[in-house]
Parts: sequence; C-alpha cells; structure tokens
Amino acid sequence: MTIGRLADPRSLAGAVLVPVASVVLALATVAVLLVVIGANPFDAFGSMFAAALGDAHAISTSVTKAVPRLMAALGIAIAIRAGLWNIGAEGQIYLGGMAATAVVLYAPELPFPLIPLLAIIAATLAGAAWGAIPGALRAWRGVNEVITSLMLVYVGIQVTRYMLEAPWAVPGATFPATEPFGAYARLPIVVPGTLLNLGALLALLAAIAAWFLVDRTRFGLNVRAIGGSPNASRFLGIRVNRMIFLTMAVSGAFAGLAGSIEVLGVRGRLIEGFSQAYGFEAIAVALLGRLHPAGIVGAALLFGVLDAGGAGLQTGARGVSSSIVQIAAGLSVGYVLIGLGIQEKLRERRRTRDALERTEAARADASGGDTSEATS
Amino acid sequence: MDIDFLTLLLVAAVSLAAPLLIAALGELISETAGVINIQLEAMMLVGAFVGVAGALLTQNIVLAFAGAIVGGLIVAALHGIACFWFRANQIVSGVTLNILALGATTFLLVSVMGADVTQSVARVERIPIPVLSQIPVIGPALFAQNVVVYLAFVAVPIIWWMLDRTSFGLALRSAGERPEAAESLGIDVNRTRWMALAMCGALAGIAGGLLTLGGLGFFTPNVTAGRGFIALAAVVFGRWRPAGTLVAVLLFSVVDAFQIRAQTLGLPVPYQLLVALPYLVTIIALAGFITRMRPPSALGVNYEH
Repeated sequence: MTIGRLADPRSLAGAVLVPVASVVLALATVAVLLVVIGANPFDAFGSMFAAALGDAHAISTSVTKAVPRLMAALGIAIAIRAGLWNIGAEGQIYLGGMAATAVVLYAPELPFPLIPLLAIIAATLAGAAWGAIPGALRAWRGVNEVITSLMLVYVGIQVTRYMLEAPWAVPGATFPATEPFGAYARLPIVVPGTLLNLGALLALLAAIAAWFLVDRTRFGLNVRAIGGSPNASRFLGIRVNRMIFLTMAVSGAFAGLAGSIEVLGVRGRLIEGFSQAYGFEAIAVALLGRLHPAGIVGAALLFGVLDAGGAGLQTGARGVSSSIVQIAAGLSVGYVLIGLGIQEKLRERRRTRDALERTEAARADASGGDTSEATS
Repeated sequence: MDIDFLTLLLVAAVSLAAPLLIAALGELISETAGVINIQLEAMMLVGAFVGVAGALLTQNIVLAFAGAIVGGLIVAALHGIACFWFRANQIVSGVTLNILALGATTFLLVSVMGADVTQSVARVERIPIPVLSQIPVIGPALFAQNVVVYLAFVAVPIIWWMLDRTSFGLALRSAGERPEAAESLGIDVNRTRWMALAMCGALAGIAGGLLTLGGLGFFTPNVTAGRGFIALAAVVFGRWRPAGTLVAVLLFSVVDAFQIRAQTLGLPVPYQLLVALPYLVTIIALAGFITRMRPPSALGVNYEH
C-alpha cells in the first residue's frame, strides 16, 4: 500500500465515504458484540450516549478524552505523509509529561500563564527530542524507524517510572505520582462546571497549525515530496536526510505537547500510566482521519466519545470502557484498510477494462470494422 | 552474590526466555520471508487468552495449547488477509491488530468470563530430568523445566536447519530477499509468505499459551505486557539468525531476571532503568554501533503480481 492511497483520496466522497462507512460498520459490530454478551444494544448505546453526549459535563469528558489522541495523531500523520512511521508517540507523550512536570517542580512559582507556558514548551521539545532519535538513526544510519521508535516507548515509560519512584517519589504515597500541582501551574477550566480545560483549545490550534504546516509551508511541501519519492526529492535539491530528521522531531513534538496537556490540564500532576495507550490509538486516529487534520479531529472526537461512553456502560465490570474503544478503533481502521483495498482493486479493474476496450476499438479500426476478429 | 542468588537468577532467566524465544523464532521465520509482524504481541495475547479459555473448557493441557495455537493463527490470518488480499501496509495492519487484540481479549474476559477473571487453570507441569537437574546452579534452570520450555530450546537448531538447509528455507529466504526473482523461479511468493506467517502465528500463540499455562495459570488484561515487542527486538538484535536470536533472548532475559531479583532483594539498582536496558541495547545495536546488520531486502513490502 502506498502512502498516497491513504493521504490523497481522489474525491471528497472517497475521502469521507470509506472512513464513515467503516465507523458505522465498526459500531454495528460492537452492537452485535453487545447483543452476544446479553446486553440490549439500544440500552447500551443509550447509556453510552448519556455518558458521552448527554449533557455539558459528558460532552466535556468526551472532548477531554479526544485531546491527547488528537494531538499525537496530528504528529503521526505528518510523519506518514513523509513516508515515516512514528510508532512511538506513546513514549513521546511520556517524555512530554515528564518535561512539563520537571518545569513545574523545579521552577519557582510564577504568575499564571508563565509556568504552563514554559512547561508546554519544554514538553514539546522533549517530545521532539524523543522523536528525533529514531529520525536521526533513520536519516544517517539507515535504521528502520518502526523498531527504534517502538523501543523508545518502553524506555520512556520506564524512565517515567524511575522518576516517580525515586527522585520525585512522594514519601508514604500508595501510588507513584507527584503531589497535585498548584493552580498557578495548571491549565484552567474554560467552561465552568465542566472538565473542558484550555488544552482543548490548544489542540484545535495544533490541528490548524498542522494543516498550515503541511499544506502551506515549504517544510510541508518537502514532507509531501519525500513521502512521494525520496529519490526525486533528492534531484529537486531537497536535503532528504535532514528532512527525515526534522519530520520525526516535529512528529514527536505534537505527542510531547499531548503529554503536557494531559499532565497540566487533565491530571494536574504526573502519575504513572497517565497515558493509557493514547499514543498507540493515535496511529489508528491518524489513519481513520485519512491523515488530514480535519479528518483527524473527527476521528479523535469519535474515540473520545467511545471512551467516555464506554465508562457509562451498565455492565458493572471495569475494563469494558477501554476495551470497547479499542475494539471500535481497531475495527474502524481494519475496515478502512479493506475498503481502500477494494477501492483500489475496483479502480484497477476499471482501468484494465478501459485499456481492453481501447485495444479492441483500435483493432476493430485496423481490421476495417470486423469486430468478430477483435474479440477473438 | 551467593550461589542461591545465581541459581534463582538463572531459573528466572530461562523461564522468562522461553516464551520470548518461541515468539521470536516465529517472527524470524516470518521476517525471513519478508513479512513483519508488529502484531506479534497480539498473536501472543490472543494465544494466551484462547489457551486459558481452552484449559477452562477442556481441563486438558494439550487441548489448551492447541487452543493457543488457534489463537495465534487467527491473528496471523487477519494480518495475511489485510496485507496479501487487500494490500494493506504491514505496519498499519500490525498496529491495528494490536489495538484490536487488546480490546477483544479484555472485552471477552470481562464480559464473557465474568468477574471471575483470575480463575486458575491447570498448568503444564515441570519435568525435572534425573541427575542433570541436580547439577548445582545450572541444573534447576536448564533441566527442571516444563516440556514446552525444552522444546523452545530444541527448536533453535531445527529452525536453523529448516531455514539454511532445506528447499523450503530457500523459498522463504528468496521470498524475503528477491520476491520477483523467486516468482520467476516458480516459487509462489504469496503462498510461501502465508506459510511463514502461519508458522509465526502458531509459534507466537504457543508463546502466549506458555505465559498463562506455564507460568501464571490465569489470564489478565494485557498479560503479555510488551513481550511481543521484545521478541521483535530480539530478532533484529539476533541479526535475523536463529542462534543470534537465542543469544539476544537470553541476554534480555538475564537482565530482566536480574531486575526482578534486584527489586525483591532491595538491591540499590534503579531497576526501572534495567528494564529499559534491552530496548536501549537493541537501538544501539541497530544503529550499527556494535555490529553491522541488514534486514531481509523485501521486509514489509507486499508482493503484487
């Protein structure tokens, strides 16, 4: 499968139709699963709807759950547009969370926007650095970035554990986490009475920035060029290796940003396991959104709604929420992959048929209109 | 460091190594044929789950492992359908299957098996080999394991022989290095890759089954906890060779066993950083700072007629 098939649908209908049909099919599959376990799917979807979209608080829960997946997916999509696989967003999220925490813990108490601002910048840089490592290894040592970015996830998670259990450990705490941050260090709630914090607005800005970066800048042009053809890009004078390095760094920066929003806006402290596979699910979000920021916003909101809604399921067992999201996520992307495969096969068949018809027409012309010979 | 510490360390290391080794050997076969399985973790997880489900249903350890194989094969089949039939990118398919497998096993555990999630099942029994298991230090580690662990280590030379000395191995290697050339020699590349993928699924399923049926005796959500990714790394670190893969797996497992023991003994070692060591070592090795290594040329590239 070429990157082009994912990123450049031939028509708007094609861009929207396959993902939307896939999501509908995935939700239908989940409904069947719910029937199988003996839940009434209408009741189940009803309680999911209430928990995810029922009132302002529910909606803010869904949006808050969409935010980290959205931001990490934006970065992953940029990498894929360049033909690079950043599988390690989860690790970059942890690095971002740690960097933001370091700023809060070590900087003095400053008037409001300063500490979060510094923390977000630090997180972005830390995420970028974590993404830049596989980037540099790919660019200058020819190492496949899939394995290295994946390995760095576990390094990032373990470093976070170390920080929480050694230098930042709170004596007597039952769970590895820092003390809650003071209000001066947090991202404030923007709609009173809900969970909606400033991070949601930052995520929207990030989506616009990602769109601008890829579609309207020289950098974005180069990203798309090396994603299309690294060799041709080289002839055009693009420094491909430098671009690979930079793209992976930018990709990691978005994930690092996501980590800081989760820590500063949602949790209000660093806590072990604060990213619940958001970075992995973000890969699915990026693909479901067909690598376009607008599509990614939609896909991330869907995942947020499923996550919040799953918590409202009346099955009385923990773990249903996360598993419902993961099943829907996996199925949606799986159906998209199959849909794109079918689309491509149909297109190919049409092309072959057109070519055949042209050949036949040409033969018919050459043989003076004797079609019986042409079809033999 | 006393003798007891070393003995226990080795027992733990070999026990940790066996599932990794089985999964890594499967991945090695698959990668040799040009198919990468980022969803190795998913194969292990579904294998572990179906293995426990099979043990609960049949109370028979052999049938339970057969179930584990079926579990791994299901994930392999989904990967093959996506990549070979619908031409999906292998990495995308792998990532998707990981998410799906985690969701599906957790869902089935909570919703179908109910609250009794940590129900214990019959475990595969240890078979100490007389005399040999009495050898100090290495005896308990090498000669007092269960039959699956013994088979894991026996598989290393067998798989080396299969890959290096049989025509099937040659077909696998040519499908992974030069698929076009292989096809022109009459090798059906996609059929060869299906077989390699199936072997990987079966082995990874057994590996998952060994985690639950050989060690824990029950299934918990995400019981594999990233072992599939370690196995992936071991193939790379082992330079796509069976013996190299064995060395990599043993290295990772000794480090892992050491960090567990360091934790329980309260040794002044930042064990979290020790856990990260295998991943770091793999990255450094991949970067060519230790030794030059090259993956199969057509790894991850779908073959289309």
